[in-house]
Amino acid sequence: MSIQSPNSPTESPGNIAKKVKFNHYTSEFLQPLALLAPSGIWLLLLLLLPTLIIFELSLVKDIAPGDIVNPDGIQNYIRILEPLYLQVIFNSLLFAIKTTIICLILGFPVAYWIAQMAPKRWRNLLLLGFVLPLWTSSLLRSYAWITILRPTGLLNSLLTSLGLPALELLNRNPAVLIGMSYSLLPYMVLVLYASLEKLDQQLLEAAADLGANPVQTFWRVTVPQVFPGIAAGSLLVFITALGDFIDPELLGGASSMTAARLVYNQFLGATQNWGFGSALSMTLILVVSIAIALVIKFGEATPKK
Amino acid sequence: MTQMTNRRLFLKRMVALSSLSLSSCGWRLANVSTNYTNSGQSDSLSIYTWSQYTDPELLSTFTTQTGIKVLADIYDSNDVMLAKLQAGGIATYSIIYPSDYMVQKMVEKNLLTEINHQHLIGLENLFPQFQNPGYDPNNRYSIPFNWGTTGLLYNSEKLTTPPEDWEYLWRNQDKLYKRMTLLNDVREVMGATLKMLGYSYNSQNEMEIKQAYKKLSSLKPAIAAFDTDAWQNQILAGDLLLAMCYSADGIKISKENAKLKYVIPRSGSSLWTDTIVIPKTANNLPGAYSWINLLLKPDIAAGISKRLNIATPNRAGFEQLPNQIQNNTNLFPPQAILDKCEPVTPIGKLEEVYERYWTQLLA
Repeated sequence: MSIQSPNSPTESPGNIAKKVKFNHYTSEFLQPLALLAPSGIWLLLLLLLPTLIIFELSLVKDIAPGDIVNPDGIQNYIRILEPLYLQVIFNSLLFAIKTTIICLILGFPVAYWIAQMAPKRWRNLLLLGFVLPLWTSSLLRSYAWITILRPTGLLNSLLTSLGLPALELLNRNPAVLIGMSYSLLPYMVLVLYASLEKLDQQLLEAAADLGANPVQTFWRVTVPQVFPGIAAGSLLVFITALGDFIDPELLGGASSMTAARLVYNQFLGATQNWGFGSALSMTLILVVSIAIALVIKFGEATPKK
Repeated sequence: MTQMTNRRLFLKRMVALSSLSLSSCGWRLANVSTNYTNSGQSDSLSIYTWSQYTDPELLSTFTTQTGIKVLADIYDSNDVMLAKLQAGGIATYSIIYPSDYMVQKMVEKNLLTEINHQHLIGLENLFPQFQNPGYDPNNRYSIPFNWGTTGLLYNSEKLTTPPEDWEYLWRNQDKLYKRMTLLNDVREVMGATLKMLGYSYNSQNEMEIKQAYKKLSSLKPAIAAFDTDAWQNQILAGDLLLAMCYSADGIKISKENAKLKYVIPRSGSSLWTDTIVIPKTANNLPGAYSWINLLLKPDIAAGISKRLNIATPNRAGFEQLPNQIQNNTNLFPPQAILDKCEPVTPIGKLEEVYERYWTQLLA
């Protein structure tokens, strides 16, 4: 069967074959290349290359600016395995997990209400109102929390005027959790909203018809349906909370050190051990990659039974 | 089938490419070119300084006298300044204000230009002990600007027994629980503990350093934060009862609230000198020299001493100060106290040991 070329219906089979090959070449190779090249180059230069540089730096034992880079082994990674630094990484993980859980518990009801129960024409406005804090600098928001949580700050002034005992929150772990949850709640709400909006009311009605009470409906119909949203939102909050530097530094004071603060001390503190700081950064990247892999594998919507 | 092969092939190729880039060793990290040609920008001067060392009056005096506009950037930690300078800082500063031990570090790293004393007027105005300081013999690379001590600023209203020594912090941990801060500087904090235990501020003995670390970790739960700057607002607001601080900051805060008093601990503390240096990457050398000359003038030195609580090393300037300031024992401590204070000196390889303990303490 000969291929009908629209331009010249009477071409030799050789030319037609070449044209087909060229079109094929164009559509299979050139077109994707032209579309992906800009962001591909951006990713390559600004994401992949720096990560490789960090990886190379992490293989040098004691390097400060001005030294020659000569990778000489994995001593930095072995040093991370000391109980002291494992404790620091564990602190970061604990903060991140707690923040994720708090954001989930606080964010799910809000997202559900906006998606399902609020009047339709108010939805965008409500969502905008909830996301508004993101428009201000996150540094300013953390400073605001210092003003509120200080021993003589807003919160304690309010409590003492009501006769309640003052709460000691600043420079301790609870303050860090409050700050981080506050900063990351809008992200969780946004992602959950996107998922909850698509929730099919008919499924809920069907479940009710079949005799399920609201609790059963929630756990056996709503949650599995929304699971990809929960997974994506949790992942977003987890990753951001893991690498958060501002809240532990400003609100945590001398309490538990997190990985981000440790990396900061290696680069901008008195130790100028860029190698160890790079190794810590690579470890964080590794943890985040594992989290992403887990979500990709298990974060699919469970099939309806 | 082709899709899977393409993806695997792509990944394999990426890994091969990545390892190719890794095999490039022997490049210098953050290599800031030190032969910076003077671009001759003669109408503006960029200075990198501490928040307390300039004020608008000083800047406008300089501009009216020389016609050069001054742009001042602020930092609050010597280490951050060094890191930013080495990583190829944002602006090309012509004047920087490092502390004494940092000057030695910067000289070793070849970051400073030698100051030509021929271009300076009034260098002989400095006190004798600042003409040839230990950290920079003959002031080859730096000019002293301010000196002081490290001590404790406390709320005399809430603390009925005033602190007299570093020991006070340990003895009154319960009363001061989360109401005290220490400086965010490893040498200052470890040094103070070493001094309290009877050793030198710059101890090079590993057993002594370990002892200091153990003492500090017993205090750690009661400390609110390690910071060099943010305590000022907190102690004024009443959140803190005690803060370890530099004399310059301490005196400034006690001027704002007379109930906050500064004291130099009995067992001694550190004696620091802040200096003016010209980095190799300065882009306005004549302007930099004009700036130093301005600050060496006795009347200017006396002026900033009064306004900014600077303990001036300028003898001619000191003599112009009113008696009240000259006799301020916090600003100009008597020799008896100064004998017990030590400057922070570099300790070479042992910095690593201090650092390890510091990271352990903070974690």
